[in-house]
Amino acid sequence: MEQATPRPGAGPAGTGVLAASMRVFDLSLGRMLWSRRTIFTALVAGLPVVVALVLRTLLAFEVPVMQGGVTGPVVFGLMFWGFVVRFAIPVLAVFYGTALIADEVEDRTITYLFTRPIPRASVVLGKYLAYLVCATSVLLPAVVLTWLLLAPIDGALAASFPDLGVDLVIVVVGFVAYGALFAAVGTIFDRPLLFGLLFVFGWENLALALPGQLRRASVAHYLQGLVPHAMPADTPLDVLQRAMTGAPGVLECALGLGLVTVVGLLIAARVVSNREYVLEH
Amino acid sequence: MTPVISAAHVSKWYGQVIGLNDVSVTVQPGITGLLGPNGAGKSTFMKLVTGQLQPDKGSLRIFGEPVWRNPGIYHRIGFCPEQDAFYERMTGREWVTALARLGGMDERRARDAAAEAIARVDLEEVADRRIGGYSKGMRQRIKLAQAIVHDPELLILDEPLSGMDPLGRRRAIRMIREWGRQGRSILVSSHILHEIESMTANVLLISSGRILAEGDVHRIRDLIDEHPHTVYIRAADPRGLGREFLAHPGVISLRFEPNALVVETAAPDAFYERLTELAASGACGPIEELTSPDDNLQAVFKYLVRS
Repeated sequence: MEQATPRPGAGPAGTGVLAASMRVFDLSLGRMLWSRRTIFTALVAGLPVVVALVLRTLLAFEVPVMQGGVTGPVVFGLMFWGFVVRFAIPVLAVFYGTALIADEVEDRTITYLFTRPIPRASVVLGKYLAYLVCATSVLLPAVVLTWLLLAPIDGALAASFPDLGVDLVIVVVGFVAYGALFAAVGTIFDRPLLFGLLFVFGWENLALALPGQLRRASVAHYLQGLVPHAMPADTPLDVLQRAMTGAPGVLECALGLGLVTVVGLLIAARVVSNREYVLEH
Repeated sequence: MTPVISAAHVSKWYGQVIGLNDVSVTVQPGITGLLGPNGAGKSTFMKLVTGQLQPDKGSLRIFGEPVWRNPGIYHRIGFCPEQDAFYERMTGREWVTALARLGGMDERRARDAAAEAIARVDLEEVADRRIGGYSKGMRQRIKLAQAIVHDPELLILDEPLSGMDPLGRRRAIRMIREWGRQGRSILVSSHILHEIESMTANVLLISSGRILAEGDVHRIRDLIDEHPHTVYIRAADPRGLGREFLAHPGVISLRFEPNALVVETAAPDAFYERLTELAASGACGPIEELTSPDDNLQAVFKYLVRS
């Protein structure tokens, strides 16, 4: 049988997944950065900064908003867990992750990617990497800015700096795990956004609130184990649950998040590799 | 010699609807036209040939290899899809370079190959403009550029002339014929006989998901001439064009639509020749778009199916 051989000037036959992913990444990053989704990301990421600014302004006018021994680092910890980890990261991951392939299909540009000598899995991986860069490059500066505004209030920057480092890692790890999960959701379901939001606001809240081991089937559970701040109480039941079960160890968190990431990406790559995309004209 | 494309009893369904029905065909090197009315199965065949769809039945091979889930084969195939879809914010040069990079070229080689492909479709002047600002003809040509950027052996062109103005059309036809002369194999689809005929005499006739006939286009030429040919022209001065064609031999009827003229002619060759002259002279202002409904071809196909 005659085998496919590259013409002079073309690349090697069967370009590897990683090399091809980097090329898809190059192609996708600019497009993703300058999309409306990035504006939404910036708005979400800007919320804690705005709250911190308001707080600082009130304090500057000596309005007694920080009472009962509440310090800036504690407020930052609350905002980090309550807003960044439990809202911003999963919501942004839903919006980006579920659209990795769907956007190309909707724009009918997927044809150009699927008729190139690259494995389809590399399209998923390359676009996933572009999403990671996009999402983290907007949210990380916002977290740092919020910390810079809040941590000095009755606290010391130097003392809470190591925690900030861990927080930034959590942001990246959160995007990695949620993004992979929602990339899989985006390739499997016809209405992935709905499924994604149901998972974030329905299932994750339920799983964390119910007794037993159900919480292990949520991403938030493993992220929670990494958060260095004192855990604010979601609900009284949540406090009770945490007392009964204890927060997961770092190793368990790493394994759980790693598993979600690997399985999510494998499923997404497999579905995209085997699926026929019929574009409507 | 290994055929360029060989399909054996290929069928494809979209749910309950059949897209392609037990098609067996062999395409040899050279330019081959895939001719059929809209909804005939041309795009389904093109998607199967380019590995975007998998046959439900039968087998399909390109250069003797299966194409579904065989990305290595795309080193040898260039595909120009029908849809008018782009990364609108990218410039033509950026887009073609990026797609060349996906073919495995390093940055420098991709840039050179993109520049060469853009030159071959005569788009150097606008290569650094965003695709979103391109005219329809430019968009078609930049699509052709991305299809040839990696110098493929087989070019698959799905309705490549759709929406082009007469001059762009003539230029594109010349390019396609030139690529054929350079030894590339080309499969080009259209629902307009006149277009296919100007590129090749070798056609596959497809209708209702079946290949009705294959061979010399001139054999069906007489049939098609029995049916009036309708042309839709969007132009700056449709009334001026109407005046020009009022007394033109073969013109059966003229109808005006907003910013457009619809002409029914029994002599399409002479009509297209005159239209190209008018476009080149600019006597009636710029001609923005030229399309031909496929009613005339449909009539011929009905005849062929009956016989």
